[in-house]
Amino acid sequence: MNLMQYMLAQQAIEETFWRKAPGQGLILWVVIGLALGTGLCFLLSTVPTNLRKKVIFTFTFLAGLPYVLAFLWPRPISADFTNDIPRNKGEEIGFFINQAVEPVGTLTNILGGFLLGVGIFSLVRVHSIRIKRRQENWGYSLVLLASFAIMTVVGFWDWRLRAFVDQTGALNVRDNWQPVNYAQDLLFEGIYQQMDSAMFSMIAFFILSAAYRAFRIRSVEATVMMASALILMLNLMGALTYAWGEGINNLVVQTGNPFLMNFKLNVFADWLRSTMQIPAIRAIDFGVGLGALAMGLRLWLGLEKGGVTA
Amino acid sequence: MTIWEKMQKVDRRILYAILVVCVCVGLFFPTTIPTDPDPSSKSFYAEVMKLEKGSTVIIQTDWTNSTRGESMGHFENLMRLMMHGDHKFVFYSAADPAAPQVARTVLARIVAERKGQGLREYKVGEDYIDLGFFPNAEATNTTMGSNLRSVWANRKSKTPTGGEVDVWQTPVLKDVKNIGDIDMMIVVTASASIDVAIQRLAQKVPITAMVTGVTGPGVLPFYQSGQVKGLAIGLKGVYDVEYMMVNGINDVEVEGQKVVEWDKVGKVDRVSEGTTFSRGRAYYGTLHVALVLLILAVIMGNVAMFASRRRKGDAV
Repeated sequence: MNLMQYMLAQQAIEETFWRKAPGQGLILWVVIGLALGTGLCFLLSTVPTNLRKKVIFTFTFLAGLPYVLAFLWPRPISADFTNDIPRNKGEEIGFFINQAVEPVGTLTNILGGFLLGVGIFSLVRVHSIRIKRRQENWGYSLVLLASFAIMTVVGFWDWRLRAFVDQTGALNVRDNWQPVNYAQDLLFEGIYQQMDSAMFSMIAFFILSAAYRAFRIRSVEATVMMASALILMLNLMGALTYAWGEGINNLVVQTGNPFLMNFKLNVFADWLRSTMQIPAIRAIDFGVGLGALAMGLRLWLGLEKGGVTA
Repeated sequence: MTIWEKMQKVDRRILYAILVVCVCVGLFFPTTIPTDPDPSSKSFYAEVMKLEKGSTVIIQTDWTNSTRGESMGHFENLMRLMMHGDHKFVFYSAADPAAPQVARTVLARIVAERKGQGLREYKVGEDYIDLGFFPNAEATNTTMGSNLRSVWANRKSKTPTGGEVDVWQTPVLKDVKNIGDIDMMIVVTASASIDVAIQRLAQKVPITAMVTGVTGPGVLPFYQSGQVKGLAIGLKGVYDVEYMMVNGINDVEVEGQKVVEWDKVGKVDRVSEGTTFSRGRAYYGTLHVALVLLILAVIMGNVAMFASRRRKGDAV
């Protein structure tokens, strides 16, 4: 199966105002979409500088509108917007709005994919210029672009073999791999992922160094923080928690005082988490949420000018 | 320069060397350490084991090898639990383009491991579906909540024989019409993508999570409020789950005492087949060593500071 057959083999989907099943006319729609997209990009590039912000704000507002309306518009509690039939005009509008959420979501996912493309374009452009002008550390840029090209070619080749050539699932077994499959495995698992791990593991060294040099008990607050951290860290050590707990159990048996159970390490740590840590995090989350709401509203309504340059 | 002043100015490379040696030694001696799993881990295990055989589960896997010390152990345990329960599952990522490939690698390894143990082999398109990457977590989770069939419309899955089939025609999803037909959503993550899933889907499907130690405290409020039904946090969470896979909850007894006790649930069975203790057991001893080292570093650093101050005070 080639890519074109793959696209043609798409199943019929539920139709709404927002989405039409392409059926056999899929290729035509793809061509129309590409033509419209290219035309739109061309038109956008010709928009006068002073109008660009307005275009951006209009698109932002339109993209956010279905989500806001879907949240605010009254609807039956158990409404199924795919299979139910609206009973009146109000519900009909609600259904119309809610059916828009999915295509807009799909659109944002596609835009997210395009953003990856924009990122790649920008990366290639910046580093190509650096190599061309022999700027400082241009050698690193060369390595970056070479790695990028090799990874792309090998990755797509491997994907093509697995998706379109291998019809029996033979490549799922390592013994049947071809050189390109080994190359992909080496590049992705053997190099990229291992470097990812190595970078992250460096944090351990900085944490230890910081613990030794910077975590000083210089104030009451620092002492409280250190005591709390100590209890939570000790609680992560199962051996210690278990031994401590057994000791408390024996003490309770000897003294007959169940209150001592509160001094089990895990009970105390759990109390710290649920009574101190979680409420504090919740308060922070609440503040962050309010801030995000305010910022979201500002962005949606075009009041936030930062980051939008003409 | 006194010994205390020298200690305060110790070369950081010495600290690094101590860390490397201590951590590496622990890795060579995996030990079964008795523990009392955290309540959130117990909830996670109980919720997953409570699923009826053959349930349908959505797995959002948002981790890569940068956090494999914790997340890979979580994901391996999850795969073993899914396969033990004969559950059908769908997995995808909404946070990192590399995450699906990392999950595929782990899944393939667990499938091969179980095959080698003479257990049923999980097959793509029949027992699980790989949906790949969705770039926008907010839009994806929101649409999943409103219309699951449309968000995955036209997605194809490989079949065990190498062909392709629409995901909605597979045994995994053919009876699913909306998110309410999914028995559980499990998020394995090293980032705040769990927050998005909770905000968009917690009212529509039971959510449990396996998160890193760094992400864990941020998810605890959702666990406390009941929006997340169970939560395995960090390496301790990995070991907790493995420990319960071996001992169950209120199940296995040693000398008349239950190994893992919890009064919030009845008996929750242990996992009686395949691998149980694995990565968590291998790393848990090392976690002990690393934490002891960290605590010692803080204590030594402070002792050196106070001793040095006192000497300076005496000198004045």
